Amino acid sequence: MSGRDYLGEFEHMVVLALLRLEDRAYGVPVRQEIEFRTKREISIGAVYATLDRLETKGYVKSHRGEPTRERGGRSKRFFRVTAKGVAAVNRTHRALQSMTEGLDLIRSYS
Amino acid sequence: MMSQTDFVQPPSIAVWLVNLFTPAEKGESILGDLIEEYSHLASKSGVAVARRWYWRQTAKTVAHLAATGLSAAPWSTTAVVVVGFLLLRFVSGLPERAVFAVLERYRVFDYHFHTYVFLATVGIAIGRVITSILGGCTVALAAKGREMVATMMLSLALGVLAGVAILVLLAWGRPLFLWTLPWQFADWIAIVVGGAIVRTRRLAATTRLTGA
Repeated sequence: MSGRDYLGEFEHMVVLALLRLEDRAYGVPVRQEIEFRTKREISIGAVYATLDRLETKGYVKSHRGEPTRERGGRSKRFFRVTAKGVAAVNRTHRALQSMTEGLDLIRSYS
Repeated sequence: MMSQTDFVQPPSIAVWLVNLFTPAEKGESILGDLIEEYSHLASKSGVAVARRWYWRQTAKTVAHLAATGLSAAPWSTTAVVVVGFLLLRFVSGLPERAVFAVLERYRVFDYHFHTYVFLATVGIAIGRVITSILGGCTVALAAKGREMVATMMLSLALGVLAGVAILVLLAWGRPLFLWTLPWQFADWIAIVVGGAIVRTRRLAATTRLTGA
């Protein structure tokens, strides 16, 4: 891995959701946040597959919470974005901004 | 918003399906999340709506977990599948030999012709299904943590080969023996059933250990 990687589309959404949720970020709110903002149904499997990939890259870190009754005695897994993850989001944003600079997307291509 | 929702039991088959494909270390968080949202949705919109949502999530989640299970260890999974394929090729003739050995030993052809016909057709096919279950179990034992992905890949590979064989037979104008097709399907499903048996037993053992 070069350490200069850009985030994929869904990775980008997941990291942004984690940043929005701050210390409340576990599977359920992350899935709901993306679903609410993108208006498309997201599976929890897709969220965890992406979170695991991001954790392997060092962009997020996770820790276990306490088991709760509403989850059938199962614990939550909380995630937070690392400094490396924030750098990756910024890098991706800058690349996208650079690519869209000067393009009048709505008027020219709609 | 959801913290005070009571626990509502989701469809047990859907829970089992997610468990089959979820790695042990991730199972707790994925299932916990699904159950939490299911309980919330059941209390807000009713059990029927929640059940539909849960099944949709299960189908999508299982597809994702199967894909990531393969991409996480593609070479070792493929190696297990190839060995399983060779093993099945090696043992697939055993039921036929065993059935005919019994039929000849007890001269069934001479005394019970209908029984002979049944055992020589359906009996052998059932023997192959049992062999496929055992083959699926063996593959699943070797593919620890990826039992379902490995057995599904093996089943798919056999299906593709059978499809190619059918096309070749059609091209050459040879007879197809279509009555064997349902039994072929049964063999492929039996391989996956073998994987599910091993995975379920491993899950039960893990639950016992963590519960102890």
